[in-house]
Order: sequence, then structure tokens, then C-alpha cells
Amino acid sequence: MKIQLTSTRKLWYTTMLVFAIFAFNPMFGQSNTTTSQKGKTIKGIVSNESGPILGANVILKDTNMGVVTNEKGEFTFPTALKTGDVLVISFIGYKTKEFKIKDTTTFIKLTIYEEVFEFTGAPNSNKRYKSKRNN
Amino acid sequence: MRRITYIFLFIFVFQSNAQIADFKTVKFDKADKIALKYKDENLSNLPQLSYKLTSELTTDIERFRAIFKWVCSNISNDYSMFTRNMRKRRRYRNDSVKLAAWNAEFKKTAFKKLLKKNRTVCTGYAYLVKELASLAGIECKIVNGHARTSTINIETLDINSPNHSWNAVKLNDKWYLCDPTWASGIPNPTTYRFQFYFNDGFFLSDPNIFSINHYPQNEEWFLLAEEKPTFNMFLEAPVIYGNAYNYFSNHLEPKKLDNTVKQNEKVTFRYRLLKNINKNDVHLIVEKNENEKKVKPSFISTEKTTLIFEHAFDFRGYYDVHLYIKNDLIATYSFEVKK
Repeated sequence: MKIQLTSTRKLWYTTMLVFAIFAFNPMFGQSNTTTSQKGKTIKGIVSNESGPILGANVILKDTNMGVVTNEKGEFTFPTALKTGDVLVISFIGYKTKEFKIKDTTTFIKLTIYEEVFEFTGAPNSNKRYKSKRNN
Repeated sequence: MRRITYIFLFIFVFQSNAQIADFKTVKFDKADKIALKYKDENLSNLPQLSYKLTSELTTDIERFRAIFKWVCSNISNDYSMFTRNMRKRRRYRNDSVKLAAWNAEFKKTAFKKLLKKNRTVCTGYAYLVKELASLAGIECKIVNGHARTSTINIETLDINSPNHSWNAVKLNDKWYLCDPTWASGIPNPTTYRFQFYFNDGFFLSDPNIFSINHYPQNEEWFLLAEEKPTFNMFLEAPVIYGNAYNYFSNHLEPKKLDNTVKQNEKVTFRYRLLKNINKNDVHLIVEKNENEKKVKPSFISTEKTTLIFEHAFDFRGYYDVHLYIKNDLIATYSFEVKK
């Protein structure tokens, strides 16, 4: 039986074809294109003096958006970032660092350093003082 | 109309606390509520914690309050850690290599404990307050120095080896002092285990009362414009307790813990008040040879925000004198009474 290609049918096939092209073709779109207005995906690695660290916090300054480094010290920032955005890298016991995204930034390599201080501590007390001379 | 005036006074004057007087129109209900709301947060993500505590608040003072309140209500003071650290620091006092090694090792365990168990010693409190405040864009510093409490033997204090840390914070271009460790709680009197008990007096305390039992290593952090106490003056100062910070903005007299007076000589006690108090609430416990007596001061005045009273000793001997307002222990002095 011969299929007649009516104009309705033609339109239907074309629509399906167009749909198929867009639906099954993975779109990497904006990522890694520095000129894009929507921003770019930033990856990086955070280390201390002895190597990459797990659990460092990387956040976009003044927001709640962020990510935590994995056991290799790596992170991929979950949202696209623009030039001029500031990432804050922090880890308990270390000095917090800020990193400004430049035009050319795609991968960040950062070393954070320990806070320099000595732990001390005197707890307060409500225990009534007793002088030695009053015996 | 008069009633309205009194209500106004009650709200805006009597609640004012120390340097907090600068912020008397600011209410901390919202900040305190936020601190409570995030009670179960841990320390694994400080930027996020700082954001949660501060993003709903509009002024720096409120933001800082939420951070301070959170730290003081969620971090407990580890006394065994404190004792072990002080013992080692004292032992290695004259051995800089060993001392540095100990400090490095202790710092590591201290941060681990802070992260996993929310337990620390003073520097941990000061560090957290500083870190969370900085993440919120508030300038805050750790101040190291000496502290004096009723249980610290001053003979063990060495000017080169600080025993306490607290914070200085810049709000509206002015520096303020606070002590998160002491604001968080005190040891239970019987079990000696840490007990949360928030003391508002250590939040933006008046630098004058603060200098009675805090001696910063760098004297700029006294935040006192006039005469700053010397280390000896600090060591000789009377013992004041946490409650003193809720009643006084300054302690004026007697200047020393140990005093020598003559029999029947009048001793003057003088304090700058933070809030109005009832004269009848002031009393002394005078202790001599294991006997103690509750005494009402012979003369007492609370005019011009200054509390003044006098006491004289009838007999010779050694006395410990404790000042109380209601049931709150405020300060202790010792007297040798001679003929």
C-alpha cells in the first residue's frame, strides 16, 4: 500500500523530526563559554599545606548557595557564576579566603591556611571566693 | 500621663544594659528567636550557618546578636579540656619548642571536638563568634588576655601567658567588648559540670566593669579612653562575679581585694549602676572564722546612678565580705581589721 504524503502528514513528520533533534541531543549550552551572559560553571580544588581537604565550604558571597569539597578536595559550583562574583572558601580552624571570578576563570586552585592562635580558656565561676588569710 | 512616662522609662531605661545602652531602641526578640530556631544546626558549614542566622535581620547589631546568642546557647565549655591544656601550658612554660608542639596538637583536637561535639574552651567560643560575624560582614576580633575569677589562683598567672580569650566587635563604627565563654554558662555548683545559663551582661559590656576582671595583652583592647589598669592593679582587683555585669557598668571602690582598715573605720563601697535597684535588696555577708552574718550597710544611697554604702568593723581580725543584691552574689573583698 502506498502512503500518500499529504501536507498534514508532512507537517507532522517535520514536527516529530525537529522534536527528536532537540530532545535527544544533550545540550551543554552555556557551560564553559566565558562570554555567555548567563555565566559559567566553576570547578576547583581546595587544599591545605598537606594536600586536598574534604569538607571545605565554598559559597557564593552573601547568598546561601554553595558546595562542599569531596575527599579529593574537588568541587563543582552548583550554579553558573558570572565574572565579578565572589566565592568564599572556609573551613573550621582555617583562615577564610575570598576568590573573585575573572573573565578567564573556569578552574580554581586554592590553598587555605590554619588560623594562628593558641587555645586558652578560663571558665567563669559563681563559687564564693575564700581568702587564705581568713581561716 | 505619668503612668505612660513610667512605662516608657521601664521599657527604655531599666532594660538598658551596659554599652548596650547605645542600642536601647533595638529589640533582640527577633534575633534571639532566630538563634533558637537553628538550635540543631552543626558547625560543618559555617558560611551557611552564618547566613541562616543573619539573612533575615536588617541591622548589624541584630545580626551580631543572633550569632552571639547561637554560639552561647549551643557550644558547651569543656572543663576537662581546659584543665589539661592549662596544666601542659604551665609545664612547658619555659620550653618554647615543647609549648609550640603542644599548642599545635591541642589546636587540632580542639577544632575536631568543636566540630563533632560542639564543645570547646574560650578560644573556641571567641573563634566561632569572630568567624560567623566575619562571614556576615561584621568586623570582629579575638582578644587574648588574662581573666580573673573566684577560683583562679592569681599566683599562677603570668603576664606572658594569657589564660582567656574574648571578642571585640565593631558596630556602627564603634568597638564593643563581649565575652561569649562567660555569657554561655557556669559550672554547676555541685557537680562542677558545665551548665548553660545565658548571661546578658557579657554582651556588649561596659569597658569599665570589663577591665576589673579582663586584662587584654594588647592594651588598646581595654577600649578605655582614660587611665588603663596595670597588670598589678588587675591582679589586686576585687573578685567580681558574672552577676556584677547585670547590675553595674563600673566598679569604683574598694579598688583592691585585700584591704587593711582600722577598727570602727568606715569603709566606702562605690559602684556605677546600670539600672535602678532597690536599696533594701543590697546586703553584705560578713564572714569571720567560719561564722557568717548577714549585714545591712549602715548608710546606703543610690542617687545619680551610683550605689554608695558604708560598713565598719567592730572587732579586730580577718574578714571576707561578700556583696549581694537580692540573692545574686556580686563581689568579694577581704579585710584585715587592726586596732
